[in-house]
Amino acid sequence: MTNTIEVENLTKVFGRPESGVVAVDHINFCVRQGEVFGFLGPNGAGKTTTQRMLTTLLEPTEGRIVTFGYDLEHDAYPVKRQMGLVPEEANVYTELTAWDNLMFTAQLYRVERAERASRARELLENFGLWEKRDVKAQDFSKGMRRRLSIAMAIIHKPALLFLDEPTPGLDAQSGRAIRDLIRQLNAEGTTIFLTTHQIEEANQLCDRVAIIDHGQIAAIDTPERLKAAFQRVQSVEVALEPDGGAHGDALAALPGATTSVKMGDKWRLYTEDPSTLLPRVMDYARLHELRVVSLSTLGPSLEDVFLEITGQQVGTVRHEEGEGRPQRQGMRDRMGGGR
Amino acid sequence: MKDEGMGRLRNELAEAWTVTIKDMKVYYLKPGMIMFGFLMPFFMFFSFSVQRDMAAEQGVARLLALTLFFTAAAAGPFIIPMERRLGTYDRLLAAPMSLLTLLLGKTAVGALFAIGTSTFALLVGVLAFGVNIAQPWLLVAGMILGAFSFSALGLIFGSIPTRNPGDVQMPSTLLRWGLLFISGVFISLADMGALARALAYISPLTYAQDLMNHAVLGHGLLNPWLDLTVLLASGVLFLVPSVLMHRRGRKLGY
Ligand SMILES: Nc1ncnc2c1ncn2[C@@H]1O[C@H](COP(=O)(O)OP(=O)(O)OP(=O)(O)O)[C@@H](O)[C@H]1O
Ligand SMILES: [Mg+2]
Repeated sequence: MTNTIEVENLTKVFGRPESGVVAVDHINFCVRQGEVFGFLGPNGAGKTTTQRMLTTLLEPTEGRIVTFGYDLEHDAYPVKRQMGLVPEEANVYTELTAWDNLMFTAQLYRVERAERASRARELLENFGLWEKRDVKAQDFSKGMRRRLSIAMAIIHKPALLFLDEPTPGLDAQSGRAIRDLIRQLNAEGTTIFLTTHQIEEANQLCDRVAIIDHGQIAAIDTPERLKAAFQRVQSVEVALEPDGGAHGDALAALPGATTSVKMGDKWRLYTEDPSTLLPRVMDYARLHELRVVSLSTLGPSLEDVFLEITGQQVGTVRHEEGEGRPQRQGMRDRMGGGR
Repeated sequence: MKDEGMGRLRNELAEAWTVTIKDMKVYYLKPGMIMFGFLMPFFMFFSFSVQRDMAAEQGVARLLALTLFFTAAAAGPFIIPMERRLGTYDRLLAAPMSLLTLLLGKTAVGALFAIGTSTFALLVGVLAFGVNIAQPWLLVAGMILGAFSFSALGLIFGSIPTRNPGDVQMPSTLLRWGLLFISGVFISLADMGALARALAYISPLTYAQDLMNHAVLGHGLLNPWLDLTVLLASGVLFLVPSVLMHRRGRKLGY
């Protein structure tokens, strides 16, 4: 299987090399031809920065990107011809109509004159924008702009498509339409690099997912295998009265709980199986004559998944010593990973 | 291999033109800008020409030079920072064209706008004052090259790595007014002291004014070929800082 993108030691430091912000920190990965590659990470993880380097918009501080076999820093032209880009914010020309926006991009990518109109029509129809073709994009809703922006990115049938968080802020239907579209493009042979912070989206769409946080890749694996890690960091949050703060160790010792972390007036208990832990928490409260003020289950947060994968303690902020916090019990095996 | 090179060149030129047309549609062919284009020559005329007691020909030559100078960079410096803010500039930067192609496309829009506006000024001069053009071809060449040089000058400011058009306003205005006063527009080169004249030779506006004098009045102080050469060369030279600042922008993440 050939690689569409190969990334070696890619690094971006904003500001001075010694004192600047390290947005991307010596990452290595490759994107295989024909796959949907997910780039999953929380806000500020370095996703957009990485994608901007991969699309030539940002100069890496260090490292190498080889796309379609061309070194991007020295031979970007042939890569740019085959690449489509859907940025974080839908960047359509609001002063132009949907049609003119598409025609402009088609001309920029030198789509054959005969093909331009038919391709634009096909896209507008597919995206439900055909009726609006003569409306200026300034009168479009967010979802319509996003769709137009995607249409503009694929009018030249790129072999590689980058999407930076294509679905947040859209209603469920538009989101689904965009996910269907990504699947369809992929089925037609387009390699897709999808940046997202939604675990579920990555799970549904991607062949492989890289998890990135604080500029570093923690793991690259199939969603199925990563899901195993997600499972372990589900949690139950409980607030007890009176004197709720005193029960952390006892709660963590309940069968099924792996760790307890104090979150304000609540205890968060990490577990693989919230449904069996819940009744045990209730039993504990009854036994000690405590009142349950609130009780809820939480899905895994990305930060937790990241910490889980890197073998660090969940519930703590990174770089902060877990002083006085309960020690992690149980699972500590690392996922095979990325660095 | 050579064919490939030619094809690439054709593509790049077509892409530059695509950018020009797009900018024209999006930023210039709008009521505000068109009004500005029509009014600018009149402002120029009344503020700089009429009060002084001078021949109509001289007034028109000055009007043309100033109109070119002030309209070629009227919008150009602000478009790129605005496009950076809106994210649409990424589209152009990621497109399969060289940076130089993009900058040429951007320069051409401002130049075309200036040529359009000064053509209008010329028509008014010819029709209203019955001014005779001594050397029409020199006029055409001068308008094109002057517009190119001034537009490229404006683009230097547009290339400042920023997302805020306001950051560009001050330096670009300062430089333009500075050049205006050191150039041989209000005082002819012949009447300047040695120092003032040396200073005037730095400014491309001096050569545009001299060229317009040749074209409209039939005589100038410098060789018209020198004027044309300097305008062309300065236009090309002005692209260099733009390229460098774009490179810097690519490092900083703008
Ligand atoms: N141009 C810039 N100058 C300085 N710092 C920057 C710049 N762009 C990004 N950063 C910093 O780099 C880090 C990574 O930002 P990036 O935009 O890549 O995150 P992200 O993963 O895309 O986050 P989000 O989910 O919020 O979009 C952040 O700390 C950010 O502040
Ligand atoms: Mg981002």
